[in-house]
Amino acid sequence: MAPEKEPILELRNISKSYGSVRALSDVSFKAYAGEVIGLVGDNGAGKSSLIKTISGVHSPDAGEIFVDGVQRHWKSPHDSMAAGIETLYQDSGLAPDLTIGSNIFLGREVKRKGPLGRLGFLDQRTMERRALVELDKVGITVPPSKRTVSQLSGGQRQAVAIGRAVMWAKHVIILDEPTNHLGARQSQEVLKVIRAAREQGICVLFISHTLPHVLEVTDRIIVLRLGRVVRDSLTTEYTVESLLGTITGLNT
Amino acid sequence: MSTVQTPVGSGEETQVTSPLRRVLGLVGNQQFILLLVLVAVMIYFDFHNSRFFSVSEFQNLIVDLSAAALVAVAELFVIVSGGIDLSVGSTIAVSGVVGAQAIVHLQSRHFGELPSLLVGTLVCAGVGALVGAVNAVLITKANLVPFVATLVTLSAGAGLALFFSQGAQIGYDPVAATWSSTGFWIFTWQALIVLVIVGVLGLVLHFTSYGRYNYAIGSNPFAARAAGINVNRHVASVYVMSGMLAGLTGMFFYIRIGGGAPQTGIGTELEAIAAVVIGGASLVGGVGLISGTVLGVAILTVVTDGLVFINVSTYWNQVVVAAFIAVAAILQTVSPGTRKR
Repeated sequence: MAPEKEPILELRNISKSYGSVRALSDVSFKAYAGEVIGLVGDNGAGKSSLIKTISGVHSPDAGEIFVDGVQRHWKSPHDSMAAGIETLYQDSGLAPDLTIGSNIFLGREVKRKGPLGRLGFLDQRTMERRALVELDKVGITVPPSKRTVSQLSGGQRQAVAIGRAVMWAKHVIILDEPTNHLGARQSQEVLKVIRAAREQGICVLFISHTLPHVLEVTDRIIVLRLGRVVRDSLTTEYTVESLLGTITGLNT
Repeated sequence: MSTVQTPVGSGEETQVTSPLRRVLGLVGNQQFILLLVLVAVMIYFDFHNSRFFSVSEFQNLIVDLSAAALVAVAELFVIVSGGIDLSVGSTIAVSGVVGAQAIVHLQSRHFGELPSLLVGTLVCAGVGALVGAVNAVLITKANLVPFVATLVTLSAGAGLALFFSQGAQIGYDPVAATWSSTGFWIFTWQALIVLVIVGVLGLVLHFTSYGRYNYAIGSNPFAARAAGINVNRHVASVYVMSGMLAGLTGMFFYIRIGGGAPQTGIGTELEAIAAVVIGGASLVGGVGLISGTVLGVAILTVVTDGLVFINVSTYWNQVVVAAFIAVAAILQTVSPGTRKR
């Protein structure tokens, strides 16, 4: 958070239009390691467009993205993942029929050693074991192996999904409405994982409509309205009322 | 199917389980139930006609089993990936006919029996792969749902089989036909080939990254894509493989009949899907074991062969098969392990 530090993620004058609709206009902000940033705004404010730009789903019409001081151009989400940015979309999540370990390592499987590994044979035991260790680091306790994700509660599932993102993210994780459809206690589990990610020095972009959660867990809140950043201040400077007013445009 | 109530902190799975619990676990195991059903059905048939447990009858069983196993396993791969392949039956027909034409052509040029059959096998597999590739394009490029895409190739394949053969059997190959019953004890050489292929595919499905991606895509294609898996490429490969295995089955039928006939294999897709369902796979994808499908094929084969064996009218065949499918499907919906998304 110290301003003299190099930002881990920086956006400069990002603009994006869909046909005649201008989704993002000159969006700029800096994000630092170990910082949780709330990204809020009404429907159509540009939140989705912004996270899709950062994660490489589509490229901006104008503007620059810097990760760890290096300018980046994404051709696909793969590029942003390789640069250390993990995104958890609302609809992607986990594969319910696979075990926790298999989900954690999905797309990044650990192969067996030797010729079998070259044939694509998996080292399932190592994956299950390492999954438990890595999840434990971010404060997620899950039943040991052999259980499919479909057998977990909604909160545990979301915790595992975030844990997966934290485990693989070198720099930034983007969480799109991670507490949606969750009960109060389950949401707290998720917020706990977000705090653990911050402890590990990861920058978290937290997108949510649930303002109390945003005020509770973030260090800084960026408010978007009609594709523009209308306010970028420390969380302590907001109240629920002022935040709501800024989002709706009643006060600026 | 053990009860899952308090996931957090229950480390019992890593502990040594008591023998009693292990037996109870087996009883709850779907695969074990399928095995019991298979044995029970066989004992029932033997009870009615004591010659059921005989080398000759087991040879018949193995021949029928190996003819059905490849397409069933192919169908399992497709179904686990969240799709369905209705075209395997027509693919058997069209590849058998085209393969037969190739063999007739080669033999008219005085090629030996074995070389022409080997070339015929390649032609069959190639035609099958081609049908699979058409499915793959329709699904991944034209964005048709697999049911519709493979319905297109089911119809086209059956029609092309009739066109290429002009409705008649192609070739007359009594030498090849004698090979269908030669082999080692109850295993024909064809059964041994099937055994090897099914074994390899079982390893691929359950122990490699390719198999893992298959489950992931069937379980949640969005998550699979987000994890960096090339979903379209994988899905395409599954349909091509399914077509190839159906083509190979077309060759098996050529050898059995001693020629390629356009009606061969028509309708096999439903038997294959039935075997996969009886084997415990989920038609919405993401769930299914190769052992279950093999047991499903075995049960279906034993039942259809056995009914003939104890002189039950073959008209009852499909009704009995229907009962097995219904019971298996109902058991699946009530078992606690099935997912609700």
